[in-house]
Amino acid sequence: MTKEDILTQYIVENQAGFYRLAYSVLKNPDDALDAVQTAVCHALERQGSLRDTGAVRSWFYRILMNTCNDALRQRGRTVPFPEDLEPSQEDREPADDTLSRRVDALPAEVGTVIKLRFYEEMTLKEISQITGQNLNTVKSRLYAGLKKLRVTMEGVETL
Amino acid sequence: MKEFGNAKENYDNTPIPAGLREHVQAGIQMGKANYRRQRRRTAQRWIATAACFGLLLAGLNLSPSIASAAANVPVLGGLFQVLTFVDYSKSEDGINYDISAPKVETESSLAEKVNAAIQEKVDQHLAKARQDWDDYREAFFATGGTEEEWGSREMDVSIDYEIKSQTEEQVSFVVSFAESWVSAYEEHYYYNLNLAENRELTLRDVLGEDWVVACNTAIQKQIAESVDASGFTYFFAPDKGGFTTVDEDTGFYIREDGAAVVCFPKYSIAAGAAGNVEFVVQ
Repeated sequence: MTKEDILTQYIVENQAGFYRLAYSVLKNPDDALDAVQTAVCHALERQGSLRDTGAVRSWFYRILMNTCNDALRQRGRTVPFPEDLEPSQEDREPADDTLSRRVDALPAEVGTVIKLRFYEEMTLKEISQITGQNLNTVKSRLYAGLKKLRVTMEGVETL
Repeated sequence: MKEFGNAKENYDNTPIPAGLREHVQAGIQMGKANYRRQRRRTAQRWIATAACFGLLLAGLNLSPSIASAAANVPVLGGLFQVLTFVDYSKSEDGINYDISAPKVETESSLAEKVNAAIQEKVDQHLAKARQDWDDYREAFFATGGTEEEWGSREMDVSIDYEIKSQTEEQVSFVVSFAESWVSAYEEHYYYNLNLAENRELTLRDVLGEDWVVACNTAIQKQIAESVDASGFTYFFAPDKGGFTTVDEDTGFYIREDGAAVVCFPKYSIAAGAAGNVEFVVQ
């Protein structure tokens, strides 16, 4: 299998996960779909920079997170139509939403660490590779997030 | 972390829209195509450089063997006398330029006009790219972005062209302007020139007096055929910004077999996932 085949297969198999993360950041199905498409396109375009196919997950998520963050910034400088940021009617209300909502309300950089750690079950090292921040920054954001969420820190693995 | 159990369950149950697969497929195709194009361009540049050295050393007219070799290089083709390109790559202020703009090399008012029009678009495109990049960087830091997060962000700006067809008398080519950073943005301009008569060709020249009806019929038929079993199509309905009719400004090129191919930019008549859409009108 060529590098391109491995990458394509990884993308096709994990697309639902990409969408979930993009949606959790952008909170709008259309924006999330666009972000996934853009990230997939960039990934294949820059496949030359994927040195180790074993690390494809953190390599791809880094592109995806950058795309989502860029979309957020882009949104910041255009005036959105009011309905764009309202949850659409198809959006389902989570059954037990208290913690979900509080995670969503976290500042973006802290929320990202929490989501990657607990929803995507990534190691802090992977999160550090994805966000481009060093391990200590990631740790401090994780603790800051947990503190804000008032979740007990007992049993939180650091690696 | 038991507390996260429910939150993770909510997250895992995020509804996945039916359109995800199409978006992912479109991304894969676009990404693969762009990757191939970059690689092909590197090869082309090499061939072009080699060909130029050949010319410098021997001169095309003096060396029939080089002339025939150059004519066989697919990129340069028989257009050697007609189309050349201004070709350069450089990186400056975080922008990677990859420019390959065509220039018509015949002594005629048509060539002058077309070259001036292309040059104007090139200048506009480069100025717009620089402005977009400055705005983006400014907004990035103004909204709390840090140097660390900015990292090694870069913008790719490219201008490329493709010769669609060429005969003794006429040439049809498309010039693509692209910017790629937060989102990819691409514009295409189509040129169909009759060199013998020193003028630009129109759809009327290719399809005859009934060109509007011919185009509209073919396009409407192809849009209707694109609707799948579940009633889904990328094309917008005519009353929702979709296709209504072609006009003098509609872009087109002439295929090798002489057929006209009518082109619409991304988003103009169909969802972004469909990209630029093209219709063959026989």
